[in-house]
Amino acid sequence: MHRVGGQLVRGVTKTQQKRALSAAAPPKKVEVFIDDKKVLVDPGMTILQACALVGVDIPRFCYHDRLSIAGNCRMCLVEVEKSVKPVASCAMPVMNGMKVKTNSDFVRKAREGVMEFMLNNHPLDCPICDQGGECDLQDQSVAFGSDRGRLQSRYDGKRAMEDKNIGPLVKTVMTRCIQCTRCVRFANEVAAFPDFGTTGRGQDLQIGTYVEKFFASELSGNIIDICPVGALTSKQYAFTARPWETRKTESVDVMDATGSNIVLSHRTGELLRVIPKINDDINEEWIGDQSRFAVDGLKVQRLLTPMIRGSDGQLKSASWEEALFTVAAKLRETAAEQKAAVVGGLNDVESLVALKDLFNRFNSENVMTEEEFPETSGGSDLRSNYVFNDGIAGVEQADAILLVGTNPRFEAPTLNARIRKSFLYTDVQIGVIGAETELTYEYDYLGASAKAIDDVLAGKGDFAKSLASANTPLIIVGAQALKGEAGAALLGKLQQLADKLSAGKQVKVLNVLQRWAGQTGALDVGYKAGTSSLRKTPIKFLYLLGADEGKVTKANLDPSAFVVYQGHHGDAGAEIADVILPGAAYTEKDGTYVNTEGRSQRAYPAISPPGEARVDWKIIRAVSEVAGKSLPYNDLKEIRQRLNEIAPHLLRFRDLEPSPFVKQALQLAQTSGSVDIDVSPALRELADYYQTNVISRNSRSMAQAKKAAIENKSNPYAEEPIHARL
Amino acid sequence: MSLKAWLGIDKIQKLGQIVKEIGGVKAVLKKRYLMDVTRVGTLVGSDKFGNRYYENNEYFVPRNRWVEFPDKVWLDYDASQVPPEWHSWLHHITDDAPSVKPPPTQKFVLDHKENTSIFADQKYIPYSTTRTKVQGWQPGQKPQFD
Repeated sequence: MHRVGGQLVRGVTKTQQKRALSAAAPPKKVEVFIDDKKVLVDPGMTILQACALVGVDIPRFCYHDRLSIAGNCRMCLVEVEKSVKPVASCAMPVMNGMKVKTNSDFVRKAREGVMEFMLNNHPLDCPICDQGGECDLQDQSVAFGSDRGRLQSRYDGKRAMEDKNIGPLVKTVMTRCIQCTRCVRFANEVAAFPDFGTTGRGQDLQIGTYVEKFFASELSGNIIDICPVGALTSKQYAFTARPWETRKTESVDVMDATGSNIVLSHRTGELLRVIPKINDDINEEWIGDQSRFAVDGLKVQRLLTPMIRGSDGQLKSASWEEALFTVAAKLRETAAEQKAAVVGGLNDVESLVALKDLFNRFNSENVMTEEEFPETSGGSDLRSNYVFNDGIAGVEQADAILLVGTNPRFEAPTLNARIRKSFLYTDVQIGVIGAETELTYEYDYLGASAKAIDDVLAGKGDFAKSLASANTPLIIVGAQALKGEAGAALLGKLQQLADKLSAGKQVKVLNVLQRWAGQTGALDVGYKAGTSSLRKTPIKFLYLLGADEGKVTKANLDPSAFVVYQGHHGDAGAEIADVILPGAAYTEKDGTYVNTEGRSQRAYPAISPPGEARVDWKIIRAVSEVAGKSLPYNDLKEIRQRLNEIAPHLLRFRDLEPSPFVKQALQLAQTSGSVDIDVSPALRELADYYQTNVISRNSRSMAQAKKAAIENKSNPYAEEPIHARL
Repeated sequence: MSLKAWLGIDKIQKLGQIVKEIGGVKAVLKKRYLMDVTRVGTLVGSDKFGNRYYENNEYFVPRNRWVEFPDKVWLDYDASQVPPEWHSWLHHITDDAPSVKPPPTQKFVLDHKENTSIFADQKYIPYSTTRTKVQGWQPGQKPQFD
């Protein structure tokens, strides 16, 4: 078994271009003629990229922007003057004075020949193929193929391959494979799954894992998108819809805090699939498997009608009127200090603002998030303490990264893909304090205890030295490590380290990686982090907004406490509720989400909430009206206006708002003493990744993937990845 | 043509005979009210529902055979109250009445029941056998996939 894509052509990533430009004087441009049009390009660029600069689109199958160059499909052949043979433009670097013809008779004949060979070995099963309508081979055979082929299948037969089982998420139909090896390169370079490769040669070349095994990667779904034909398709979406029947809505993913950009495909009010949307600042063009496949969890265990707990202790369906009046009556009659609201991690900022406004109207400031964060020594008062200050794209500029108490591979798969990209193409040094887990790149393990920071601060050890001498050092700390007093001390220590490292540099160094999509937004609008204050006074009225992680139980409350749950799934929160108000999931409402960088993004609704469920901020608005203190907004525009009053950055969609006052944050921080806590992250292996929130806990495909990942651990043929820089 | 017929007296006589056979003017008016006809004929038989079946071949086919419903149904009579064996006699599918020549009985044949689909509480309501697009949560239900 051997790897394909050995001939890696370097100098194609944007980062490197940027770095090359910034480091030395700009290199001399090369003059190239594309279809007699003159263009000046950087040396080292390929002909295909030069063509893209002048708007000439070269057909291709194996070439992909974000993968190494293989040059094996031959579809991108062009004519280069003084060259006898046609040239594969994706792999040929430009040379000064090169004259390229992309649409001559010679080129057209070459493409037609390549296409004929490809179709000889490709089945004519487009009517039953899931890629139909979005297939590169279909499109390009129409544009560049011949109207007939010379295959004598009566004599020659037709190539056929056995399908391979690579797990419950990706379906393979290997007969359709055209051996572009995009998936192999993706698996080796991005997903760090070296088991995927090719066997055999020529007609017998096969893509696969050689022995049957699970495609053990949190990014495995992306091979569905990069496959130009229908060889790799989604098992969840199999035989469901054609692309021209579906409507597409742009949205933001909530499965992790990076806020990956996604496109929701839906038809007749039913959500069918999720595919990534390109955003070079956040997710490039990948998304994690949870983001892609967990949406089937939105179709089960949903709260469809309001419910009220009857005198017999059973929850019974009720009308909105009954539910709202019950909640409003309790809200009015409970004293301000006995009220509290707890919000979960999947909420949009609109509903968070409405809930906080509602509680403020009743003289209560007792609103908090389920996820914890230090309250003392600055805590969430200063924004730079809890956001990813240097930005996700900033990871590519880093030359030393320290990961504290986080496993980015499972907490933010697309961020981890970027760290791996940095690892492959630059000599970034990575250090880890936390658990010694497989992260898809090599790192220096500094121990499980936060005590190791003292050594880094003192400059002890190889990694500490490379961190200190780095031009753009970066510390990524997981939000899970930051809780309580010890978390405050840890944050203080890291601020101290960041201050030392950032002296005279452009970066802020300290970056917090949140775990929940709604957490940064909640802290931005003034929620308290953590539910510890709930335990100090007996709470008689508790409002849960999508709080399903079980941080608050009946035991924490007054025995006579009245619990309201508003959310979209029946889980831990709905279980303890006295009244249930059915809300909308992220695919069903206009929402603003702030990702871990502090970047505000807008999601659009793809479908309407099921049954009697309603959009969350409107439910809270209705409660306020019944309770006699109406909130002053009636439509989306007006509540966005309210968002603007609280924090204007919430409406500057897609922009990254910098968080100042780093120095002041350090002054507030407690930096004395040593912190000795275990900062191992909760997510350590692939099986932990799949079911982390209420949506994925109810997803069938995620449960199957988890099972496959657990079974894969006892597979004797599973290989240890080898991390080598390219 | 006799003088009686010429004067139409035989019609009056026949009317008188019918009124007498039905049982007086009051009974005739009741029958007119319920059935809109005043016919007399020979009773061929009756069924377990209390319907009585008459035949009078002076009338042309198919008006020569009819059913009189019991008084208890009053105006709520309906063609589906006639059981199938009598239905075939009424509609001249068979020559012999089931009281004369009963049709063969099969053990799998259900008892006859009238059509009750106009009654809100007795009508048949079809239900969908396809799964709903979104399944609701029942209180106490745990995640289904672990």
